[in-house]
Amino acid sequence: MRGLYVHVPFCARKCSYCDFYSLPARLDLLEAYVQAVVHESHRYGGLSFQTLYLGGGTPSLLGPGHLRELVGGIGKSVDLSELIESTIEVNPESATGALLEAAREAGINRVSIGVQSLSDYELQGVGRIHTAAQAVEAIILASRLGFKSVSADLIIGLPGQTWSALHRTLGTLVGAGIEHVSLYCLSLEKGTPLEKSPPLDLPSDDTQAQLFEQARSFLLGHGFIHYEISNFALKGYECLHNLNYWRGGEYVGLGPAAASHLYGRRFRNRADLDAYIDRPGYLTEDVEELDVRDKASEEAMLRLRLLVEGLDAGELAAKFGRDNIEPLADRLERMAHDGLLVFDGLRYRLAPSRVLTSNPIFAEVL
Amino acid sequence: MDNIRNFCIIAHIDHGKSTLADRILELTGVLHTTANAQVLDSMALERERGITIKAKSVRMPYQSRSGQSYILNLIDTPGHVDFNYEVSRSLKACEGALLLVDAAQGVEAQTIANAYLAIDAGLEIIPVINKIDLPNAMIDECRLQLEDMLGLPAKDALLISAKDGTGVPNLLEAIVSRLPSPRGGVDEPLRCLIFDSYYDSYRGVIAHIRLFSGSLRRGDRIMIKSTSKVCEVDEVGYFLPQITPSDKLMAGEVGYVAATIRKAGDIHVGDCIISPDRPETAAIPGFRRSQPMVFCGIYPINSSDYSKLAAALEKFQLNDSSIVYEKESSAALGHGYRLGFLGMLHMEITLERLKREYGQELISTMPSVIYKVVTTRGETLMIDNPSRFPTAAYIDHIEEPIIRARIIVPNAFVGPCMELSESRRGTLVSMEHLDTRRALLTYDFPLAETVTGYYDKLKSVSRGYASMDYDLAGYRSSDLVKVDVLVKENQVDALSFITVRDSAIPKGRALIHKLRKLIPRHLFEIPLQAAIGGKVIARENIVPLRKDVLSKCYGGDITRKRKLLEKQKEGKKRMKMVGSVEVPQEAFMLLLKMEE
Ligand SMILES: Nc1nc2c(ncn2[C@@H]2O[C@H](COP(=O)(O)OP(=O)(O)OP(=O)(O)O)[C@@H](O)[C@H]2O)c(=O)[nH]1
Ligand code: SF4
Ligand SMILES: [Mg+2]
Repeated sequence: MRGLYVHVPFCARKCSYCDFYSLPARLDLLEAYVQAVVHESHRYGGLSFQTLYLGGGTPSLLGPGHLRELVGGIGKSVDLSELIESTIEVNPESATGALLEAAREAGINRVSIGVQSLSDYELQGVGRIHTAAQAVEAIILASRLGFKSVSADLIIGLPGQTWSALHRTLGTLVGAGIEHVSLYCLSLEKGTPLEKSPPLDLPSDDTQAQLFEQARSFLLGHGFIHYEISNFALKGYECLHNLNYWRGGEYVGLGPAAASHLYGRRFRNRADLDAYIDRPGYLTEDVEELDVRDKASEEAMLRLRLLVEGLDAGELAAKFGRDNIEPLADRLERMAHDGLLVFDGLRYRLAPSRVLTSNPIFAEVL
Repeated sequence: MDNIRNFCIIAHIDHGKSTLADRILELTGVLHTTANAQVLDSMALERERGITIKAKSVRMPYQSRSGQSYILNLIDTPGHVDFNYEVSRSLKACEGALLLVDAAQGVEAQTIANAYLAIDAGLEIIPVINKIDLPNAMIDECRLQLEDMLGLPAKDALLISAKDGTGVPNLLEAIVSRLPSPRGGVDEPLRCLIFDSYYDSYRGVIAHIRLFSGSLRRGDRIMIKSTSKVCEVDEVGYFLPQITPSDKLMAGEVGYVAATIRKAGDIHVGDCIISPDRPETAAIPGFRRSQPMVFCGIYPINSSDYSKLAAALEKFQLNDSSIVYEKESSAALGHGYRLGFLGMLHMEITLERLKREYGQELISTMPSVIYKVVTTRGETLMIDNPSRFPTAAYIDHIEEPIIRARIIVPNAFVGPCMELSESRRGTLVSMEHLDTRRALLTYDFPLAETVTGYYDKLKSVSRGYASMDYDLAGYRSSDLVKVDVLVKENQVDALSFITVRDSAIPKGRALIHKLRKLIPRHLFEIPLQAAIGGKVIARENIVPLRKDVLSKCYGGDITRKRKLLEKQKEGKKRMKMVGSVEVPQEAFMLLLKMEE
């Protein structure tokens, strides 16, 4: 399984918490950007992909024309004939009928909507430019257009967020027939406006944890499976593209700041749109080729994020060699003994109660 | 032997000793141009901090203006009070001393202390006023101070700038004309003094020696006077400044000897080397043993590194004979050592050197002085570790070490210095006006105050102008109590501290507060308490960790995620498990930082 990710680094305006690589007010560069991505895709000519994911930034800002041009152009150099899942991330205000129709025509079968919240107060508080109503409209539109799966991103811990508001948000989403929900905890990233002047009603870590637990129970109660630390899906609607990340799979990232994992090596395009347009895919950074032991530990750490699937130690041994995973296997065993992991005789799993405090556990796995 | 001159450069800290050594090395052709300033400060820590820590010897040829050839042996010494044991040992290898005075600063506390060491050692002193290039040089005042404060004839003082070299050629002439040559015959029985040493993994112990009589060659058999150990000489040579083998060493010379001595215990700095054929040869009076003033525990982070630490300490002591150590164990930290140092800078430098030069990851505990505890049964216990204090019921009274400090300070800062000293439990012994500009304050106060930052404070209240020198002046009874710290109901012995009763509560509270911020949140609640005896005087809670998760993965940037986790793991490695709680190593030195 191999995934193809395209980073679309444009946004209408920067949200106050966001440290992703995306630029506001550079839409004049859309055309040049699309051509650059198509150009970069030639480097991977002949490779075939089973999943495609257009992420951002705000891919819906491409508009129908550039979207067609982008997917069509990439499809000419790499092999997209085996695609099983193809996702576009959209923001409610730019998820127009025309855009979504163009997406359907381009073979995209999954929409991930940046809903974040269905409380206008919370949305405004972090500088989102859409309303709750627009988000609901986008969901309805996407369902009506026959996408196989519609997903919503939500943020836990928005300024002023309460359980009753979050409860309402979740209820509306489930009522609208959403199949997949990502719950991300808000964090104050260095250098963001939110970090520089955090609002007074920013929920504490404890409140965040509580909100997350409540949201989790709600979703489980409505038939969702908590299949990855931040992801919930109805059975059969897990995001394959992301699953591939957690399973240590290969993927290629196109566009500035996009990360790749190919032939055992990880690397990332430099986060610089102008340089990228100039010489697409030339400036790679953070190239990393881990030795086999570190690679095995990394994969173990990633797979433990999969709460249901877990980590099959035997499979890991088969992939990396029994000798190479010996110290890791000892660590896992000890952690299971200490109650940090759950072992059922075949697979190690993270206990659901440890989801929000998983970093120390993952650090120990490495 | 008439053409040999052995001398050291002594001064207050930063008065330019190592810079003068640079100029002398250049003029004698040992170094061409000194690419780096203060070349003799070769240790990484010396370079980083711009101070000399170890005394260093160099042998140089010199041709005087009269055409006579000489051999000069220079020893550059450190100026900081904590390293004055290096000075007293170096003096033993010399007949003369250059006493440097910074023309802009004048005579300071260590100028006086070091000058007296040299006078007591019977050395000929050449007073040298340095930094005359500075616009604020006060040459006449310096001359007066040399006369008034040290009784050195001012007309004899040389004027130099070690920085630009002015006056240094004349200084070299003065060295050969004014300093005496060594005495002692080459034909007399071998007698040499070990004044320093270090451990070399190939050659074993390299002993720095001064020959007083006789000669020494490769293949000679030698005897260490104090242990009667006999061994064969593998190599002798000189410091140029790097060690360089030679055929032989002769009476009057300074150099080194290696004799495949592998066991650190076989040889001590201050020992005398003689010939096994003449075992009756009298020892050279060595040095007064240095007296450690502050003590702290050191523990390997990883308990399995204990034996490595033992080996490192043994080797380290060869190069720094002023540290003392003995085994100690702590319920919280496991097996380690208690080290004694000459002062706080000495402690800081030693811990850093152990970490760097011997690759030791160490936890060090809060330094302490030696308390004299008199029990109700009338015994006197000398205790350098707060966790060893008997329980209050057995204590009749406690005495603490007192120092007599001599502080030289410009008049403008006398007020703040007195205020500070009094707040640190000092009692004024005397106050003298040295001249129109400066005063000499003599204070007695508890040595423990220097541990908690008195010296740094003194520097800051005087904008760096005050200088201080001190000796131990006995013990005095004080109202002291031991404060214990409990982490999750377990008493952590390594966090106990001694303090005057009046500050126990504020200090206990402050420590608990800092600990709460320092110890990371765990999955469970961690109560922290400070207590005297069984009585709790401060309490705080570390609430459980609720959220530590990397949720958003954008575009599969796994590398960044992994690096974050790895950083977290590194941080954890620097923690010590105390029961079920991970405590960062800084916790054990927290009290020190609090004083700053
Ligand atoms: N202007 C001027 N500066 C000097 C002179 N001699 C030394 N210095 C400066 O004084 C500072 C201290 O010089 P060092 O030679 O390291 O002093 P030191 O006496 O060896 O210091 P310690 O070994 O730490 O006691 C350095 O910044 C030197 O550059 C001089 O003649 N003139
Ligand atoms: S829309 Fe998304 S990518 Fe753009 S600024 Fe907001 S959070 Fe960041
Ligand atoms: Mg120096």
